[in-house]
Amino acid sequence: MKSRIVAAAAVPLMVGLLAACGGGGGGSASANNAQGPITIWYSNNAQEVAWGKQMVASWNKLHPSEQVTGQEIPAASSSEEVIGAAITAGSEPCLIYNTAPAAVPTFEQQGGLVSLSSFPGGASYIEARTGPGASVYKSPDGQYYQMPWKSNPVMIFYNKTIFAKAGLSTTSPPLSTYSEFLATAKTLVSSGAAKYAIYPNPSSDFFQSWYDFYPMYAAETGGTELVKSGKATFNSAAGDAVAAFWQQMYAENLAGKGSYTNDPFAAGTAAMAIVGPWAIANYQGKVDWGVVPVPTTAGSHGDQVPTFSDAKNIAMYASCKNRGTAWDFLKYSTSVAEDGKLLTMTGQMPMRQGIQQLYAPYFKANPAYTVFAAEAAHVIEVPNVPNSIQDWQVFRDAWSKSVIFGQQSPDAALAGAATQINKLVAATP
Amino acid sequence: MTSVTAPRPKFPPLEGELRPDARPSGRQRLTRAAFGRNPIGMLFGAPYALFIALLFAYPLFLAVWISFHSYFFAAPGVSVPRPFVGLANYTAVLTDPAVRQAFVNIAIFLVINVPLTVILSLLLATALNAAIPFRAFFRTSYYVPYVTASVATIGVFLFILSPGGIFNHVLGPLAPVPSWLVNQNWAMPSVAIYVTWKSLGFFILLYLAALQNVPEELYEAAKVDGASWWHRLRAVTIPGVRQVTTLVSLLAIITGANLFTEPYLLTAGGGPDGKSASPVWLIYQSGIEQNHPDFASALGVLLVILVLLISAGVWLLQRRQA
Amino acid sequence: MTQTASAAEAGATSTAASDDVPTIEPRASRSWWRLILLLIGAAVFLFPFYYMIVGSLQKTANTTLSGTLPQPGNITLHNYGQINAALGLGRAIINSGIFTGGVLLGTLVLGILAGYALAQLRFRGRGLLFAFMLLLLMVPFQLLIIPLYVIIVRNYGLGNNYLGMIAPFAINSTAVFIFRQYFLQVPKELFDSARIDGANELRVLTRIALPLVRPAVLTAMLLTFIGPWNEFLWPFLITKEQGLQPLAVALGNYIETVSGVATNPYGAIMAGSFVLALPAVVLFVIFQRHFVTVNIGSAVKG
Repeated sequence: MKSRIVAAAAVPLMVGLLAACGGGGGGSASANNAQGPITIWYSNNAQEVAWGKQMVASWNKLHPSEQVTGQEIPAASSSEEVIGAAITAGSEPCLIYNTAPAAVPTFEQQGGLVSLSSFPGGASYIEARTGPGASVYKSPDGQYYQMPWKSNPVMIFYNKTIFAKAGLSTTSPPLSTYSEFLATAKTLVSSGAAKYAIYPNPSSDFFQSWYDFYPMYAAETGGTELVKSGKATFNSAAGDAVAAFWQQMYAENLAGKGSYTNDPFAAGTAAMAIVGPWAIANYQGKVDWGVVPVPTTAGSHGDQVPTFSDAKNIAMYASCKNRGTAWDFLKYSTSVAEDGKLLTMTGQMPMRQGIQQLYAPYFKANPAYTVFAAEAAHVIEVPNVPNSIQDWQVFRDAWSKSVIFGQQSPDAALAGAATQINKLVAATP
Repeated sequence: MTSVTAPRPKFPPLEGELRPDARPSGRQRLTRAAFGRNPIGMLFGAPYALFIALLFAYPLFLAVWISFHSYFFAAPGVSVPRPFVGLANYTAVLTDPAVRQAFVNIAIFLVINVPLTVILSLLLATALNAAIPFRAFFRTSYYVPYVTASVATIGVFLFILSPGGIFNHVLGPLAPVPSWLVNQNWAMPSVAIYVTWKSLGFFILLYLAALQNVPEELYEAAKVDGASWWHRLRAVTIPGVRQVTTLVSLLAIITGANLFTEPYLLTAGGGPDGKSASPVWLIYQSGIEQNHPDFASALGVLLVILVLLISAGVWLLQRRQA
Repeated sequence: MTQTASAAEAGATSTAASDDVPTIEPRASRSWWRLILLLIGAAVFLFPFYYMIVGSLQKTANTTLSGTLPQPGNITLHNYGQINAALGLGRAIINSGIFTGGVLLGTLVLGILAGYALAQLRFRGRGLLFAFMLLLLMVPFQLLIIPLYVIIVRNYGLGNNYLGMIAPFAINSTAVFIFRQYFLQVPKELFDSARIDGANELRVLTRIALPLVRPAVLTAMLLTFIGPWNEFLWPFLITKEQGLQPLAVALGNYIETVSGVATNPYGAIMAGSFVLALPAVVLFVIFQRHFVTVNIGSAVKG
C-alpha cells in the first residue's frame, strides 16, 4: 500500500533525526558551589506540609538571596512515577522530601541524582546524624545518593473498644505469636465485634508488601532484607512461615481481599491495622488505639522486634542548578531543631541517633510515641539493588496470586519470584 | 442534503489569475506539473502535514525503534548505552504471564461487549426508528452517557457496584462476595457491561442512520407476505444494515483492545490478581512506572498488529458474506 | 476512547433534522411494547446520572433503595465544598477549557484548511497526505503514548505545559475526514465560477465553501469537543502539576488516591463527576438538533 512505501521511505530521515538526539555531556562540579534560589517538594500529608511550610519560611527570612519555594509533590498513584517522569523531563526540583529508598536505584540509573558524598563533609554529616544505620542507604558504589530522613516503624495498632467487645485484654492483647494472633483474629470476627481482624490493602501496587509481608519478615528473620548479596532471601523457612500465616488469614476471611477507599481501621471495620505512626493523625478521635510489635512464630520480644522502617528520605536531583544552596538547606532542615519540629508536628521518627534523649519532653508528654522511638532503632530497609521497583512488583504479584487469592501454593510462588528477582538484580542496569 | 442555491458572489477580477478554462502557457504547465493545479493546496495542507510528521510519524517510528533496543528514560544530558537487541523485547513480552493474562482479559471483554453492543444497539435503533412519541427525548437519553466523560460516569458506577452499594442491596443474598469489581471472576465482565452501557448511544445512532437507508418497500413487501416482526427483522433489517454491523463490530473491537481508563479506574489498576488488567495498562505500568519503555513499546506494537489482524479478519468475513 | 473511537465518527451522524418520517404504520399493541422497551432502556441509561446527582447531595452515603430518593435529612452541599477544596474545581475546569479550546481552535482553523485542500485542491503530495491521515486514524493512540511522551517532553520541551497537552490532539483527524467528506459534496462549478471572478482560494473557502457546510462544521466541532474534554490518559501523563490538570485527570487521581479522607468519599466523587459531566451534556442537548444526516454509505465504504 502506498502508505507503507511512504513509511519505509521515511526511515532514513528518521534515523538521521534520532542520531541527532543522543545524550549530551554530564553535569559540572562547580554546580556544587552555586548559590541561589531553589525549589523543593515535600509530601502531601497534611502534617508534613505544615512542617515544610514553616521550615521554608524560617529559612527564607534568614537567606533573602537564596529563596526556597516549597511545593507539595503532585498527586499520582505513586510518587516514584511522578518523580521519574519529572527526571525525564528535566523538571524535577532540587530536593524532594519524599524520596522512597526503593526508587533510588532507578533514579540513579537515570542519572537523576546528585551524590551527596561529593559535597565536602557530606558522608560524615549523614553518618553523624543517623549513626551506623546509615550505611544501608549507601549505593553499590559506596556513595550516598539519598539522605536518611524519617522513619515510620510499622507496628500493629489495635482498637481497644473492639477488643473489649470481644472479651480480649486491652492492655496486653494476645498478639505476640502467630498462633495467638490467629486465635485472637478468629475471636474478633466470630464474636461479631469487627468485620475483619486486620485489613492491609490487598492491591497489587509494588509497595503494598511493605505493609503486610515485609514487617513480619523482618521480625521473623531478626532483620534480614529481601535481597542480600545479590540473592533473594525470602525463599526460606522464615519467608514461607510469613506467607503461610497471611494465607490463613485470607483463607478464613480474617483479612479482606477487596481494595478500598476508606481506611477500615479508622472506620471500625477492621479491629487492627499494620502501619506506622504517621497514621495516628487519622485515628485521633475516631479510634481508641493501642500498639504492639508485629508477631513472630516464636513470640516477640518487646520493642526489640525488628520491623520495616517505611523510611522516606531526601535526595538532591540532577536538574538542580544551585546545589550549594540545596546542600546548605538540606543541612538546615535536618538540624536538631528542625528534626524536633518534625517529630512534634508529624509524630514521625527523624532518623537521628538518640531521639529519645534529645526530645525527652516530647516523649514525656506523648508516651504513646515512645514505643515507636524505641522501635526505630531496630528497623530494616528495602535493599538498594538494581530494578528494585520491578523486584517488588514481581514479589507482590506472586504474593497476590498465592497468599491473597489462593491460586497457587505460596512456597511455589515465592520460589518462582525469588528466581525472577535474582535475574533482575543481576541484570546490568 | 442542503440545497446549494447560494447567490453567486461577486469578486473584482485580479490580474494574472488563471481562468479555469484558459489554456495554460508553457511556464504555467511547468508549475502545474511540479506542484499540481492548485499549489496553494500545499500551503493549506502544510500545517496538518507538519502536525502529522511531528506528532504521529516521528513517534510511531520512535516506538518501533525503541522496541528493538534496550531503552530506559534518562535525565536530560545524560548519555546511556542503548544497544540494539533484536527481538529480545518481543520475546520478553510474549513469555510474560501478566501479558498473557491481559490478553485473556481483553478476550473476555470482547466476547461480552461486542455481541451485546451489536444486538442491543440494533434493537434499540429499530425501536427508535418507528414513529413514537418523545422521540427526541429518547434519542437524547441514549446518547447522554456517550458524551459524558468516562471518569464522571465511573464515579457513579463505583458507588453503585461498591460492596455496600445499591446494586448489592437490591440483590441481597445473591450479591457476590467479594463484590463485583473486586471479584476475580466478575471484574472484567463488570467493566464490559459498563463500557457497553457507555458507548451504546453512539452505535445506536450509527444504526439509525443506516436504517433510514433501508427502503420502505422492502418492509411493505414483507408485511404483505404476512411476515412477523421477528421475520421482518431477520429478512430485511439485518441484511440491510450489514455494512454498519461490520463497522460497529470493528469499532467495538478496536476500542476494546485499547481499553485503559475504564479498567484502571474501576478496578484500581490491574484488578484482583490482575484479572482486569488491560494490555494498555501494562504498557503504562512497564513504560512509565517501571521505566522499561522498550518492553512497553514491544507490547504496543504487538497490540497494534493484533488489532489490525482482527480487523482485517472481520472485514474479510463481511466481504465474503456479501 | 479518543482518536480510535472517533474514527467512525467519520460517518457520524445522527438523525435527520426533520424527524417525522414514519417507516411503518405500527399496530397499536406493538407500539406500546416498543414504547415500554424504550422507556426501560432510557431509565437504565439515565438512572446513573440521576443517582449521581442524588448521591452527590447526600451527607452520609445511603446505599439502600430509599437512598435513590433525595431525603430531606440527608441533603448537603458539603460534598461539593470538599471536592472543591481537594481539587480546586474552578481551576480544573479552566484547564479543561483551555485544553479543549486549544484543540477546537486548531481543528477549526488548520483542520478545515486541510480538509478543503484534500477535497477540492489538486496539489503535489495530496495523495500522500490523505494516506497518512488514514493511517493515523487506524493506528491507536496508545502505541504512541510512550514515544510521544519522550518527544514532547524532551525534544520539544513541552512537559507540564498547556501546549504539550494540546499538541497530540491539536488537529482532530476525524474532523479533517468529515470536512473532506463534506467539501467533496459541494459541486465544483460553484468554485470554478468564483475563481473565474478572480477570487483567490482563501476567499473561495471562506465565502463560498464554508457557509455551505456549516452544519457539518458544527457536528465536527461537537465531536471534537468530546475528545479532549473527556480525555484522561494523555493529560494524566503529561501534567503532574495539580495546577495544570484538567478536571477529568484531577477527578481520576482523586478517585485513585485520596478520596478516603473525605467525610463522604463517594459523595465527593460524585459531586466532582457531576461538575465534569454537566457541560458536555448541556452542550449536547442544546446542539443536538443541529446534527445532520451524513451520507453514511460513502463513509462506511471508506
